[in-house]
Amino acid sequence: MADERPAVKIRIEDLAVRYSDGTESLHGITLDIYAHQVNVLFGPSGGGKSTLLRTLNRLNDLADVASQQGRVLLDGEDILAADYDIIQLRRRLGIVFARPVPLPMSVYENITYGLTLAGIKDREQLDSAVERALLQAALWDEVADRLTESAYALSGGQQQRLCLARSLALQPEVIMLDEPTSGLDPISTFKVEQTLQQLKKDYTILIVPHSVQQAARIADWAAFFLQGELVEWGSGHELFTAPQDTRTEQYITGRFG
Amino acid sequence: MSRQLAQRVAFGLMTLAAAVVILPIFYVIGYIVVEGMGAVSWGFIAEMPRDGMRAGGVLPAIVGTLLLTAGTAIVAVPIGIGGAIYLSEYAKDNARTRAIRVAIINLAGIPSVVFGLFGLGLFVIFLNFGTSILAGSLTLGIMTLPVIISTAEEALRAVPQSFRLVSTSLGGTRWQTIRRVVLPQALPGIITGVILGIERAAGETAPILFTAAAFFLPRLPSSIFDQTMALPYHLYVISTQVPGMPIRIQYGTALVLLVFVLSMNLVATLMRRHYRQKRVW
Repeated sequence: MADERPAVKIRIEDLAVRYSDGTESLHGITLDIYAHQVNVLFGPSGGGKSTLLRTLNRLNDLADVASQQGRVLLDGEDILAADYDIIQLRRRLGIVFARPVPLPMSVYENITYGLTLAGIKDREQLDSAVERALLQAALWDEVADRLTESAYALSGGQQQRLCLARSLALQPEVIMLDEPTSGLDPISTFKVEQTLQQLKKDYTILIVPHSVQQAARIADWAAFFLQGELVEWGSGHELFTAPQDTRTEQYITGRFG
Repeated sequence: MSRQLAQRVAFGLMTLAAAVVILPIFYVIGYIVVEGMGAVSWGFIAEMPRDGMRAGGVLPAIVGTLLLTAGTAIVAVPIGIGGAIYLSEYAKDNARTRAIRVAIINLAGIPSVVFGLFGLGLFVIFLNFGTSILAGSLTLGIMTLPVIISTAEEALRAVPQSFRLVSTSLGGTRWQTIRRVVLPQALPGIITGVILGIERAAGETAPILFTAAAFFLPRLPSSIFDQTMALPYHLYVISTQVPGMPIRIQYGTALVLLVFVLSMNLVATLMRRHYRQKRVW
């Protein structure tokens, strides 16, 4: 498996991110994200995984980032370049956060939000995008007749899949999920995980799981982060059965973290 | 002294303090209602004053106050909300922003008669608007700005940061995020602040004293460059400047002003309650 590596979607080269309060969140990160695979970033909290996700779609531009070094190549183009079209980038790299944050609108408006921002007004086009996104997020059956209800009327698990559908509606190339199941019950979690396996046919998945067990269940490729450092990365199978670094082994066997 | 006794004494003192605050308000309102009721009739509201204001109604003062209130809103609302959006959504936390904030706080602390003098100098004389509704509205508008800016900024800041993050992550520009998510969510709070600010302006006398108010005008104002009568100034005039004034007309005028201002207050309160219940965050 290690010989036949899939196409690289995102190449991260020697990335370092430092926040303005002096804390260094990431340093020396070199990592490939493979297209149409489930790429897992895992490790104890404070390891810089969320920072990495937010760096990839430049959401960190909103935070207090003091310095950013290295390169992040999306299909060979450096997205950290000063003149890169950030709005376009964020449509290509969707993100789902740990806590579901529906916008204070209806289910329908939540999903079409990104599309209408991009200037799409055609009702039929929006309707079909809503149905497709909800089907992909495995939510259509549950909310098909509740589209005009407030998104806050949905259960927590439904809200999280709504947030996923909202990202999918923009037809991004990469879906990033930051502990998407941390607040969900096991059944909802199972649904989300199943959905991811379906989605990787069409999208590149980059996920921070909420537990080592989840990481091991879903990873095609896995990277272990510890205090801003990338300890090791490789295929999920290798990393979880025969880790090279003792820290990885200690973490996945539950000796710390 | 036992802890229970201390608790009882403290509670009693605080209840007393609350009563001291609340009772005078009810007394003032009740007194004005009782004394003024007799004067207020349809004619009192809809007629021009007669016999040197000693008889007839207060129509021109009501119209004037309505016009000045509307003018104040037109001046203060766009600038105030714009300023609040800038401070809450765009301004970085630096020396310049802090200077702006200090300026706003100080603006709120300036006595209203000073605003009146400023309006006289700038709008009435220098810009040559004369004693007019325009000059009065601009003066009241500037006086109202700090209230609107502070409450609107607070309402904008109360909108969860996560909404902004989500909107941005879906490819929203900063302005799209403000217009489509932040502003609609902050709107009830903003409107409440606007009403409370403008209501204060509606009851002010000093700022219009030199800029807009007429002692007596036997007709309704015909343009924004016209002088106007206004309820608070009219009340001052008939209470101190006109000998032989029937007391019930004074209280009737006070009652009309009070009802006007308190009904705005009521609208603001009802609106706030309505939207609080609908809010999802």
